[in-house]
Amino acid sequence: MNIIEIKNLIKVYDEKTMPVFALNGVDLAFRQGEFTCIVGPSGSGKTTMLNMLGGLDTPSNGQIVIDGTDITMLKSRQLIDFRLRNIGFVFQSFNLIPVLTAKENVEFIMQLQGVNKEKRDKRTLELLQSVGLGEKINTRPNKLSGGQQQRVAVARALASKPKFILADEPTANLDSKSAENLLEIMEKLNREENVTFIFSTHDARVVAKAKRVVTLEDGKIVSDIPKN
Amino acid sequence: MIFKIAFKNVWRNKVRSLIVIVAITLGLAGGLFTVSVITGMVDQKVRSGINNEVSHIQVHNPEFLKNFESRYSIPGSDSIAGIISKMPAVKAICLRTRITGMAASPNSAGGVQIIGVNPEMEKEVFSLYSGIPDSAGGFFIGSRKNQVVIGWKLADKLKVRLKSKVILRFQNSDGDLNEAAFSVNGIFHSSNTIFDETNVFVKKGDLDMITGNDNGIQEIALILDDVEKVPVIETMLQSRFPALLVQNWMEIRPDMGMITTAISIEVYVILGIILFALAFGIVNTMLMIVFERTRELGMLMAVGMSKSRVFRMIMLETIFLTLIGGIIGIGLSTALIAIFHRHGIDLSAFSKGLGAFGFDPKIYPFIKTKLYIHLSFMIVLTGILSAVMPARKALLLKPVEAIRVE
Repeated sequence: MNIIEIKNLIKVYDEKTMPVFALNGVDLAFRQGEFTCIVGPSGSGKTTMLNMLGGLDTPSNGQIVIDGTDITMLKSRQLIDFRLRNIGFVFQSFNLIPVLTAKENVEFIMQLQGVNKEKRDKRTLELLQSVGLGEKINTRPNKLSGGQQQRVAVARALASKPKFILADEPTANLDSKSAENLLEIMEKLNREENVTFIFSTHDARVVAKAKRVVTLEDGKIVSDIPKN
Repeated sequence: MIFKIAFKNVWRNKVRSLIVIVAITLGLAGGLFTVSVITGMVDQKVRSGINNEVSHIQVHNPEFLKNFESRYSIPGSDSIAGIISKMPAVKAICLRTRITGMAASPNSAGGVQIIGVNPEMEKEVFSLYSGIPDSAGGFFIGSRKNQVVIGWKLADKLKVRLKSKVILRFQNSDGDLNEAAFSVNGIFHSSNTIFDETNVFVKKGDLDMITGNDNGIQEIALILDDVEKVPVIETMLQSRFPALLVQNWMEIRPDMGMITTAISIEVYVILGIILFALAFGIVNTMLMIVFERTRELGMLMAVGMSKSRVFRMIMLETIFLTLIGGIIGIGLSTALIAIFHRHGIDLSAFSKGLGAFGFDPKIYPFIKTKLYIHLSFMIVLTGILSAVMPARKALLLKPVEAIRVE
């Protein structure tokens, strides 16, 4: 069963002056447990696509149905709550809260969701252990390496038990060893816990690990290749 | 969690936060100290006026106050005094004869109010006697007749000193002119130069003896156990004795009432201006913070932090910053005020000028507890108002753009 269905998605910038079609009639679907990469040259619409999927930007036309909800119809406040409960984000530059420890960064999302302390503590520890940071729970981001910070970001993205995780160039700021390590963790989470990952990337290592590669060019899908 | 993040965020850039906190601290400490000096000056003037000159409430024959003619005495003053002294909250009363007259020495003369008193009753209500040092005599020491207690300014004007003779000339209640020689028994020194120049105290019995009849009681002065009860007792007295005129200290001395009211407003104006100026610094700092944290704020909104939570977080950060400075400022000023309150600020170099306006040359700064409470609210309000613009700026961020800001 599809958890995400994108129908005729169009995003036009500068619609009135000089229209630029960032996405031009994209139809796409994602199933639970996919490990998909969206690739393409700069300006192909990868980031726009991820922004649309994450409910961070609104399309000019088309539908994005996530688990039965057409998010293009949601109001701003509803979208924020939808993101909180359904979508996990991993950003290129980690974006952790610097004044909080690793544990607090992960726990924070659950607090926004209103999860009680006992459950929060348990899940936070499990998640940080699953990304190999069980020993660093009380460490602040500035004392962690880039790879470790991105692993905390993955744990944070998983904290809300989202339907899928959107990762925008997650390895772009990592050295090769850290990137490899991060990918192994994500792959393991996907394999063992059926977590759905959707990446936008230029990184060949990420593409190599993907089970499906969707290629965009000029806002259109030019290939959609499943891998085994 | 929002609370915790907001508090931790205050210390993210320690130097910047400390600069703001120090600015708030010094601004408030300076402002509060200034206010405490002004409050101390005025309070001393008012207390001195009440304790030495007017008491809390005075009762007169309404006609007396028109021209200060001694024939308009209070009828049945003894029985009235008996009733008043039994009223609740009345600590003490004294009965006074007041006659307008002239004090003269071989060197000079001047118009004065001659106040005929019972020294023991007088001491219960007024504390002028306690400020007379041994070197300046006392308040009717001994049982000799025709003693007078005068102010230092009048003594200076008449060029008299202790035991000097002063001639008091006055019209008695029958309209006859009388005069008698009095020996200076004490020289008082209130903080009001004009009072010290225009009032002399004699024993009522001596006055009656000179005039050959009872000059009556023109004034009943009351002191209460709490100044806050003045309006209630005043109303009670006025309804009990409708033929008499009952006045509180602010009505008797409108200048004292006016300065008290003016200062109570002025202190809020001073502190309001200081907080208003500080608010600009706080707004500027918070705008910088929002600008610097654009990406982080975008991330927070992207992962599902509601706009109201973002707004609250910025609000709380601003309030924390303001409150920390405010609390330290209040603490510092409290310490400063306590030290100077104990030792006083000696402005005797300006005693002539201050005395002319009824101010004591030694000032004991103080601040009413009520002001600290109001100030705390004002600080929180400043924090909230200062936070509005930065918080609104944060709300206008679009997560999709903010998360990509470098």
